[in-house]
Amino acid sequence: MCNKRLIDWVVIVPLLAIIAAPGLIQTAFEVRNRERPGVFEVFDRAPTARNLHDFERDLERSSLVLRVLRPWVQYGRFRLLADPGEKAVAGRDGWLFYEPGVRFVVERRSEPWQPGRAAIDAIRAFRDELQARGIVLYVVPVPGKESVYPDQLAWRATDAGVIVPARTAWLFDELRRHGIAAIDLFTVFRQLRGGRVHASPLYLAQDTHWSPQGAQLAAHAVAERILRSGAIALGNRRYRARTAAVDRVGDLVLMLQSPAIEAFVSPERVLCRQVLEPDSDVPYHDEPAAEVLVLGDSFLRIYERDEPGSAGFLAQLASELQAPVASIVNDGGGATLVRQELARRPNLLKNKRVVIWEFAERDLRDALDGWHIVSLDRSNSIPR
Amino acid sequence: MCESMRSAGVGIWLVLAGGLAPGCGPAAYDIEPSRDTHGTIEVTARLLEIPPGAIFERELYNYATVLKYQVLEVHRGKVNGDVIYVGHYNPARPRAQVADKLVPAIGGNLKTFHAGDVHRLSLDGAMLDHFSGGVLNKYAEEGADPIYWAVWTDLVRE
Amino acid sequence: MVFTTSLFVFYFLPLVLALYFSLLEACRRLGASDRACSLVLNAVLVCASYVFYGWWEPWFVLLMLGVTAINYLCARVASRPSVDPRRKARATRLAILASLGTLGFFKYAPFLEQNLNDLLSWFGVERAPVLALSLPIGISFYVFHALSYTIDIERRTAAPVRSGLDFACYIAFFPQLVAGPIIRYNTVAEQLVHRTVSAERFRSGIVLFVLGFAKKILLANPMGRVADAAFGAQSPGALDAWFGAVAFSIQIYFDFAGYSDMAIGLARMIGFEFPRNFNAPYQSQSITDFWRRWHISLSTFLRDYLYIPLGGNRRGPIRTYVNLLVVMLLGGLWHGANWTYVVWGAYHGVLLALERYHGKRGFWLGMPRGIRVCGTLVLVLVSWVFFRAASLHDALIYLAAMCGQSSAGPAWLALPSLLYTRTSLAVMAVAGVVLAWPVQAHDWSREITGSRAMLIHPLFCLALLVMISQSFNPFLYFQF
Repeated sequence: MCNKRLIDWVVIVPLLAIIAAPGLIQTAFEVRNRERPGVFEVFDRAPTARNLHDFERDLERSSLVLRVLRPWVQYGRFRLLADPGEKAVAGRDGWLFYEPGVRFVVERRSEPWQPGRAAIDAIRAFRDELQARGIVLYVVPVPGKESVYPDQLAWRATDAGVIVPARTAWLFDELRRHGIAAIDLFTVFRQLRGGRVHASPLYLAQDTHWSPQGAQLAAHAVAERILRSGAIALGNRRYRARTAAVDRVGDLVLMLQSPAIEAFVSPERVLCRQVLEPDSDVPYHDEPAAEVLVLGDSFLRIYERDEPGSAGFLAQLASELQAPVASIVNDGGGATLVRQELARRPNLLKNKRVVIWEFAERDLRDALDGWHIVSLDRSNSIPR
Repeated sequence: MCESMRSAGVGIWLVLAGGLAPGCGPAAYDIEPSRDTHGTIEVTARLLEIPPGAIFERELYNYATVLKYQVLEVHRGKVNGDVIYVGHYNPARPRAQVADKLVPAIGGNLKTFHAGDVHRLSLDGAMLDHFSGGVLNKYAEEGADPIYWAVWTDLVRE
Repeated sequence: MVFTTSLFVFYFLPLVLALYFSLLEACRRLGASDRACSLVLNAVLVCASYVFYGWWEPWFVLLMLGVTAINYLCARVASRPSVDPRRKARATRLAILASLGTLGFFKYAPFLEQNLNDLLSWFGVERAPVLALSLPIGISFYVFHALSYTIDIERRTAAPVRSGLDFACYIAFFPQLVAGPIIRYNTVAEQLVHRTVSAERFRSGIVLFVLGFAKKILLANPMGRVADAAFGAQSPGALDAWFGAVAFSIQIYFDFAGYSDMAIGLARMIGFEFPRNFNAPYQSQSITDFWRRWHISLSTFLRDYLYIPLGGNRRGPIRTYVNLLVVMLLGGLWHGANWTYVVWGAYHGVLLALERYHGKRGFWLGMPRGIRVCGTLVLVLVSWVFFRAASLHDALIYLAAMCGQSSAGPAWLALPSLLYTRTSLAVMAVAGVVLAWPVQAHDWSREITGSRAMLIHPLFCLALLVMISQSFNPFLYFQF
């Protein structure tokens, strides 16, 4: 009897303490800081579903106990089970992949595929508007890391080389059908890779983006195509270059929001080719009056506006063209936001002969703010 | 009824009561005392709306979203008109936790954006001078210009 | 509100327990009668339940209040000793019609409209706009609770409630409100008025809650991610499709059984005793056996309120098969307004009818137990494909993939990265052990030894830690 009673104590008291502790600690912490306990904020607004859910989210986000524990749990899962959480997928040799990117490759698309149709409509409308101004559009869907290195992602793809996901293949077919010029980086990367992970991979192991070599190769392919088409001629600005080393903690590691994981994972050292202005040590910079305008997302930002600077796709493209370029860069906003920005800055189209429009292939499914038709004339956009 | 449960219940109540007392006090939503050191403009303004999709959790990239305000009072500096557009950095996060390496000098006591709330804002001029990352501008078609950059955002209790 | 959220575990639950036990203690100290005490406690539970339920959408509470009121008033009329039989029948009919009407309108009207549109469009009739209704969560459960009361009163198998508050507590009781189990009125009628609260019962309740919590967080959720990946994939191979189907079988069981354990455990903590809802269903040796072990509260409800009134097995074999089929079809439809659920129900109905046809003569009974368990498991697993797929078309494609009918492409190449992770393989192995374990949580929680007590805290801490680090926490009962 006595033993049973002891067991009751041993079971009940700690369990009650566990469930009561986070709320009590939080309240005590807020009181100590002379703050009003967050739990009372539930009375601050009308009890609508939205307000209640916001309150719940705020309560969770501001919880001291949760904020302290969560990164350590992430770390534990990462170390013990190689589980990087719900938004990343662990590949081979320490490679990480972005889960929505993997789903872009893997998931079935519904029929009719509305986002795909909206993308094609937006691209066509943009091409037509530029054409009316005498400007040629080149569309550059950038392959996801999952497409270029499927062998680092899944054992089944060991000998697959570069793959083209069904949605992306559909996009290329549609672009071809509508006579829109597209630059196929899949083929370019496939030719170089040949199914191997060579010494200088085209993508970073812990990041969603390409490596300096990948950016350079892409810039070379784009420049070659534009020059070959005759849309512009090779310039005469002889940029210089120097090598710059950068230690980079990948965005996929940072995304996990666990300092312990960040400390555990060694930064990747990459060697960049930094482009310099002719006859000086000043790093390359864009020129708004250039003949080529490049629109795109973080694939343009990396190494260019991040460290070391002037070593990303834009600088490499300028170096290949021997002429500066103008650019609009919006992280994750390659689908619509860059065109909205262009509509706000119509002067950027002056003197342009070519617009290169880069976006990540997964934007076909997950574009930030969707695919809108953006009118350059009236600065308005039609939601799709 | 077991003694252990009694003591646990009493314990919980005592701490809750301890939490309740200051909850009724006026300490809530203190305005940041050094707020006049933030930004070049300071206004009290009502958040007019939150367009669908303007604020969401985005794990991979930092971003700023543009929100529309009705200016109620200008405390410092000058703004263009009664309706202004303000860029907020990573708006899904509480202002107190939003500062990072990319945008270090930013904060406030606001936890969540709600349409209709009144905010006391410390602003800087042209957003693009302060933030070069992704910008979600649901007012692009309205020609939102200028877009101010929110440095400090406090919730004002009406 | 959902049990497996920080809000519920760290705020709602401690607050409700503190309030409940403080008032219980106050009642005792003041020398209040048992009845007065139970009324006070029921009032606390009703308020807590409305907050719990209104958290999804506050206006849903009004709908539940409406169903509560109409069933209470009609049963009151029907239970008067001197009531005219015709009036009694009218009152009962009104309550049943109002309850089923509410359920039908919110749950099935858009589905019917959609199907009518499809049908008429074959004849060239233009499609009409379909009602956009948000389905009140848990409506199927509380409507069944209300019906159970009305029918029990009409049949005189239970005494009418002594107050509206007791009845509101029965309908809205938060532990079983949104995901069951379906507790029949006559099971809890006495407990609404008088219940035993003891440390031992509280202890076994909190242990059962922890076990259910761990099932949901540690086993069901990770398997849910795998199932989502497999069922959403462009071209799963046969291995992938089977792996996904097994993952979903694990998810649905541990999710549902976990919720039931949490519900029964919470109820036990505050003095209610509910019957078990699952009893090792994946150890069943036949589909008939499966339905004695799976969602027992639903199968017994359908048996007592539908199958037996239809005639059960008393009107000859053919009628028995038809009754089985009708009951399972409606049981399938109860789970959601979609043809996939209808087919799922029909599939089980046909299998039950076949088993009944063969009776004890069938060759199946002559097989070794292991083969019977495995065979049943495969049949159940195939049925889950219909349950999980978004449409019949998707279900057939998935079944074809399970038979090896899919093409290798980029999606097929990359799919293993989402399926065969270290976490999913580890979780599946643990789930397999738990599924085969002879002792069920319901019984395990009653007999707590010292070693079991030492196990429960780390398990709860682990489940809580995983809960706070994951955002994937699906709630499968939105369409129930």
